[in-house]
Amino acid sequence: MHDHHDRLTILMMGNPNVGKSALFNRLTGANAVVSNYPGTTVDVTKGSLRKDRHSYEIIDVPGAYSLEARDAAEEVAVRILDTHPDAVVMIILDATRVERGLYLALEVIERGAPCIVALNMMDVAQDKQIAVDTAEMQRVLGIPVVATTAISAEGVKHLADMIRKAQVADLSAIRSRLNGQEPDQGAVARCAGCGGGGCR
Amino acid sequence: MGLTADERWDLVDAIAQRTVAFGISRQTTGDVLGELTVKPLTGIPTALAVLYAFWSIFGSFAGALVTDGFMIKLFDGYWLPWMQAAWPDPGSVHYFLFVGDPAAETCFEAFGMLTSGLFVSFGVVLPAIFVFYLMMTLLEDSGYLPRLAVLMDTLLHKIGLHGYAIVPAILGLGCNVPAVTATRTLETKKQRFIMMTLLALFIPCGAQLGIMLQVVPDTVGWVLLYLLIGFVVFGYVLSRVIPGSNPEILIDVPPYRWPQRANVAKKLWNKTRGFLTNAVPFVMLGILIVNILYLTGFIGWLADLAAPLFVTWFGVPKETVGPLLAAFLRKDLAVAQLATIPMTSYQMITAVVLISIYFPCVATFAMMVREGPRQLLAAIGVLAAVVLIYGGLIHAVGILLGVA
Amino acid sequence: MHKRLSELAFGESGTVRDILASRHELNCLGVRVGKHLTMITRQPIKGPVVVAVDGMEVAMGLETAGCVSVEVD
Repeated sequence: MHDHHDRLTILMMGNPNVGKSALFNRLTGANAVVSNYPGTTVDVTKGSLRKDRHSYEIIDVPGAYSLEARDAAEEVAVRILDTHPDAVVMIILDATRVERGLYLALEVIERGAPCIVALNMMDVAQDKQIAVDTAEMQRVLGIPVVATTAISAEGVKHLADMIRKAQVADLSAIRSRLNGQEPDQGAVARCAGCGGGGCR
Repeated sequence: MGLTADERWDLVDAIAQRTVAFGISRQTTGDVLGELTVKPLTGIPTALAVLYAFWSIFGSFAGALVTDGFMIKLFDGYWLPWMQAAWPDPGSVHYFLFVGDPAAETCFEAFGMLTSGLFVSFGVVLPAIFVFYLMMTLLEDSGYLPRLAVLMDTLLHKIGLHGYAIVPAILGLGCNVPAVTATRTLETKKQRFIMMTLLALFIPCGAQLGIMLQVVPDTVGWVLLYLLIGFVVFGYVLSRVIPGSNPEILIDVPPYRWPQRANVAKKLWNKTRGFLTNAVPFVMLGILIVNILYLTGFIGWLADLAAPLFVTWFGVPKETVGPLLAAFLRKDLAVAQLATIPMTSYQMITAVVLISIYFPCVATFAMMVREGPRQLLAAIGVLAAVVLIYGGLIHAVGILLGVA
Repeated sequence: MHKRLSELAFGESGTVRDILASRHELNCLGVRVGKHLTMITRQPIKGPVVVAVDGMEVAMGLETAGCVSVEVD
């Protein structure tokens, strides 16, 4: 566990155009540029968030499909992850494109960083009749999963509350949970009921 | 630890199967619109209409309505005469620096910090970039840019890029500085080098476009045509000469979204604030420096020195050297300064094109240094060659047409 | 019937059976073996194609599309 009184660094990572910058602005009150095309953010923006007694430095990282960088913006993303070994990674998933987001999420999880997942664009997913079970995802991954809609700020407060519950996920535990076993004694599983909030 | 990509995808599938359920979604208006604007038969006319609308709104609102209809009357009718009367000692150095020419009748001609400086900044460029960024924000936020990228892909492939290069190119029409950083979304060094070089050379920024509407309202089309031809021709040459690969386009095309009013307002406010804090001081500083260089005789000396190149090769008056110096600080200022030099309309076209292509402004240059310091020497070499060749060619075309 | 993705006609759809090159990048954009996709548009003069996968659209060059083998519905 990390010392909660230290200033913790949070890296916001995810595929391009999933709403990282919009969520970043909501969390920090900062002014990162938000657009509707992949690759809007190509550089690093930093902001800060105070939540109760905790103070966080939040970094909006350029979008990446994978940690095998394809272009210079993705190289920036990988470099930031490399240079912040102690950071908590907030993985932003687009609820309409969960699979690709999960791929990057697993790559990050494999590196052993404490993670939390924000399942963003819930509004679009609803329009497209895509239902994502956040509670189940949280149980399987063993890290907090929070449903958000950055554009309307829905779920953002809850996300900020949950940052301190970020966990290091364990691949073999994920595997066995997928196979129906329950090896888990982590803190998050107990809080599955509150964490999933708003799942359908 | 250390999963292979396939193992990871298997795990992804297993997790997704547990957590994601797809319902039957019906096609929304946005989906239909999305398809119509990316299919060539309907998409290409739409793209042309969008670009035309963009330009005509820009010209009519910023140029005609605000600047001609209001700002010129305000600055030339009231502000300039008042400054000329109120400032003490015409003929003194401070009068020259702050007010400029005591006999000037327009704020373009006066060329003092408080006359031309304020007029160029607030009378011309501010309304121009405000309208420009408003429309650009709508393009960015709606999700149109990736579709434009698909439509432009074939063309851009011919010049060593792919469709997504349209993003830095269009951002560059607002300001080259963020556009240089946006080249990071291109995959290879070759693509980035070509895009950065073409940006620095042939993409005029919003401030420059705004002032061009005022200084050369009738011939701005020619200027843009020359820049577009240069973009395509030199892009083609660079794509042949520069080693490296040009991978195909591979991008997400996001669904359309309504631009959020709050986000549009925020972006506009940030751009406007950026202009007030970063650009306006540079315009003022530029006028100050240029005026001091005039007073010390440096520009006259340089003009004589450069006269052979300027007069015989480019076919423009040797005094153009002054604006070209200013162009390093602010291109809008440089174009404004051209208005003070008597020349033919074809010379004016040539001079405006030269100001666009000869060197990036200092802010863009700094960004290029940051992005690719090692390639910068090569870029400058290309720049110099292109300016010499293209400047001469434009002159030659003028001679052939009998207008130069 | 098997076809290359680049040969699919407007509105035709099928299931991805094999990806012969640059698989990782296509995978990351949602084009994976077993996925069902629909051709949205093909640009003229060997331009890129746009396909819909899982309700999201992806644009790719014609050569890339030629590496995707599809079983047509």
